[in-house]
Amino acid sequence: MATIVNKYVIEQVSPMHNQNMNRLIDVLLEGDQARAVAEAMSLKNGGVEDERIIADAIEPAMGRLDAKCTLEQFNLLEIMLVGRAVTGVIRALYPDAPPAPSRETVVLASLEGDVHDLGKNIVRTIMTAKGYRIVDCGKNCPVENLVDAAVREEASIICISGLITSVIPSVREVVPLARRRGLTMVRVVAGGAALKQASADTLNVDYVADSVFDVIRYLEDHPGELS
Amino acid sequence: MPILTVKFADEDRRITFAPGRSARELLDETDIRVRAGCNGSGACGLCRIRIAGGNAGEPSANERATLGAGLLSQGVRLACQVKPEHDLDVEILNPAPPSAWRSLDTGSGTSSLPGPSPMPDPKGEHPLGVSVDLGTTHLSITLLDLASGRRLAGRRGLNPQETAGADVMTRLMAAQSAREAERLSLQVIGAIGDGLRDIAVREGIDLHRVGRVVLVGNTAMLAILSGRNHLLLLQPRYWTETIDCLPMETASWSATWGIGPAAAIKVIPPLAGFVGSDLLAGVIATRLTEQCPGALLIDFGTNSEMALWDGDHLWVTSAAGGPAFEGCGISCGMPAEPGAITRVAVAPVTGELAFDVIAGAEPRGLCGTGLVDLLARLVGNGTLNVKGQFAPSVPDDGFPLTPGKGELVLTKRDIDIFQRAKAAIGVGIEVLLAKAGMGHNDLRRVCIGGVFGQSLDIASATEIGLLPAIPGRSVETAGNTALSGCEALLYTAGVDERLRDARSRARIVNLSDCPDFDTLFLEHLYLQPIAPV
Ligand code: B12
Ligand code: FES
Repeated sequence: MATIVNKYVIEQVSPMHNQNMNRLIDVLLEGDQARAVAEAMSLKNGGVEDERIIADAIEPAMGRLDAKCTLEQFNLLEIMLVGRAVTGVIRALYPDAPPAPSRETVVLASLEGDVHDLGKNIVRTIMTAKGYRIVDCGKNCPVENLVDAAVREEASIICISGLITSVIPSVREVVPLARRRGLTMVRVVAGGAALKQASADTLNVDYVADSVFDVIRYLEDHPGELS
Repeated sequence: MPILTVKFADEDRRITFAPGRSARELLDETDIRVRAGCNGSGACGLCRIRIAGGNAGEPSANERATLGAGLLSQGVRLACQVKPEHDLDVEILNPAPPSAWRSLDTGSGTSSLPGPSPMPDPKGEHPLGVSVDLGTTHLSITLLDLASGRRLAGRRGLNPQETAGADVMTRLMAAQSAREAERLSLQVIGAIGDGLRDIAVREGIDLHRVGRVVLVGNTAMLAILSGRNHLLLLQPRYWTETIDCLPMETASWSATWGIGPAAAIKVIPPLAGFVGSDLLAGVIATRLTEQCPGALLIDFGTNSEMALWDGDHLWVTSAAGGPAFEGCGISCGMPAEPGAITRVAVAPVTGELAFDVIAGAEPRGLCGTGLVDLLARLVGNGTLNVKGQFAPSVPDDGFPLTPGKGELVLTKRDIDIFQRAKAAIGVGIEVLLAKAGMGHNDLRRVCIGGVFGQSLDIASATEIGLLPAIPGRSVETAGNTALSGCEALLYTAGVDERLRDARSRARIVNLSDCPDFDTLFLEHLYLQPIAPV
């Protein structure tokens, strides 16, 4: 059944350029923000377009990070460092204003009763780098405020990060409230250490993501219109 | 009906069952019990069994998460996740401890509590006092001669509420039902009674002589004990507020404990929603507010509480780093029990690792201090880098502790869990110092409380940045400071005054209000000495 489609158009690039891109990927993965910014700026000053740097270095670096987000390989420090390096490079490339988001709007929060927000912030960093428009409703956020934000911002995705088990009852309220408020198409995704062990059914959400990359894959595989 | 066979070295026990329930539920109905800490949700990883025959079904996502491919491939599973449908043979890998109570060694550590003065009582006429430290995981009890202040006996046992949740949150959730809350309260009152009876029987002491009982503990445990206001603790806004959790009556407690009916029972009120009276007791025991400014107390636990004295105010906070310091949640971890590796050294010539094992037994796992030592040694010899990544020479599934003998493997995930626990403490230290307007260089004293602290190697802990480096100054491993402080509250004159003073000088700091938490946390994830800022 499976047909493999090669999505990539191989362009004529100099070996020199390739080498520099690979070096940028390496320093990004090492999480070395200062060197990553320096490498990116030297590419940019050498005439490489911002879009190329994103597509040929940041994207592949995040792809390799994705592979490390398995349970066995996960290391929080590594992820946070790469997240910071990527943000640093994007900020250096677009010093005046961040690039306009190319993908859907996501509202994101840790729910009332939960003040953990490290996980949520990582989701924000990576999804922003991937081109989503993120509206961060913060931590300890009542379900009503989250759904209000989704209505106001015309979001197509609601992401909930949960680190303590006591928020599970609130997580279960999100979809019903969103539907009552007329958000029939919005997809609700849960993640974070206290939620990722549960099934979508028990949490009453559309999807439970293992990692931020998992949710991106899910969203790519299930485009909004089809939901 | 199918049969669940539990294999022991000397016998097989057979339990017939109707399919549909987990192996843990089946075992819980017998006297064969496996340890458990998450109400059967598959998160704590304590209820380990090995499948010795039959089909246990596919491992659940939780089992893959907590056990990892290595243990699963050896047939290790979680009893709360396995729902047998046909005959199944299992071995219990992590049995609930058979005797709940262990004797406390009397007076170890370098606590600055004045030593008890001997005062003979040959006829056994002196009034007695009991001090209790009620922790999430452990209960500690001591019996004192109130005339001399001498500790007559001490016991330490598991808090039986553990099965309703090893962490505070899960337990508070369980206590949402009024019936369960009452059961949990009775359970812990009963456990204190068991501990006291163990002392009475073995040491031949008449409990009727007990005239005074003082209890300290973390807020959640005290609130569940008294059955009052524990549900407030599920709401963040109450963490920094005073929680009234003093018992309405204690007559039924004295009856259960078999102590004198007129005995005065006193629960020391906690400071706030997340800072218990155990920390206050620790402040008393270490005389934290009575000596030089720049004194830091860290009481290590699942929810480590800390206090910093700046000469004027006592800055306190709590950092929920998780139970890694108790060896929990770590794939090769275990509590500080026989078979636990407590220290790790590197042999000078061969570079091989050498272990200190409790009771000199075959190593069965690493307890918290063993883990600290091991990480320091592995970073020291380049097997691990400061980010927590293994050198390429280390196999994919982790670093084998006992090569050739299988089983004990330190995984990347174990290191990640430890790093998080350490980072939570690190942020706590930074934030307290910032609040007090102090720097690392102003630290004069670091007191370490908790059982973990007792056998901790300070050099290792400093190397990987678990403790700040305070060269030439003193790091005191003070043992169970909550308990020794509780003893002081039981018999020392003038101590109530000291407690009131400490209370009035306390300033509560909520780490979740810290605006640059992420950055500080990141800096403290590194396994390297804390750089003074
Ligand atoms: C840091 C920390 C804190 C900090 C939080 C500061 C902050 N600003 O975030 C402080 C010190 C304030 C704190 C406080 C408390 N904590 Co705390 N804390 C932790 C700790 C050490 C790390 C948690 C963390 O940030 N992990 C890092 C994140 C990034 O990991 P992650 O969730 O797996 O996220 C990854 C993925 O899951 C994914 N992801 C995350 N969210 C989402 C969302 C979506 C949509 C997607 C797609 C993906 C995704 O992205 C990440 C990268 O891949 C853990 C223990 C531990 N060792 O883990 C305890 C822990 C979470 N805390 C716990 C507790 C109990 C508390 C307290 C209640 C303690 C108390 N009694 O006072 C308080 C109050 C908490 C509350 N009600 O919210 C418990 C929870 C237990 C439970 N069963 O619920 C833990 C597990 C510790 C323990 N075992 O006791 N804590
Ligand atoms: S009781 Fe089975 S994993 Fe916690």
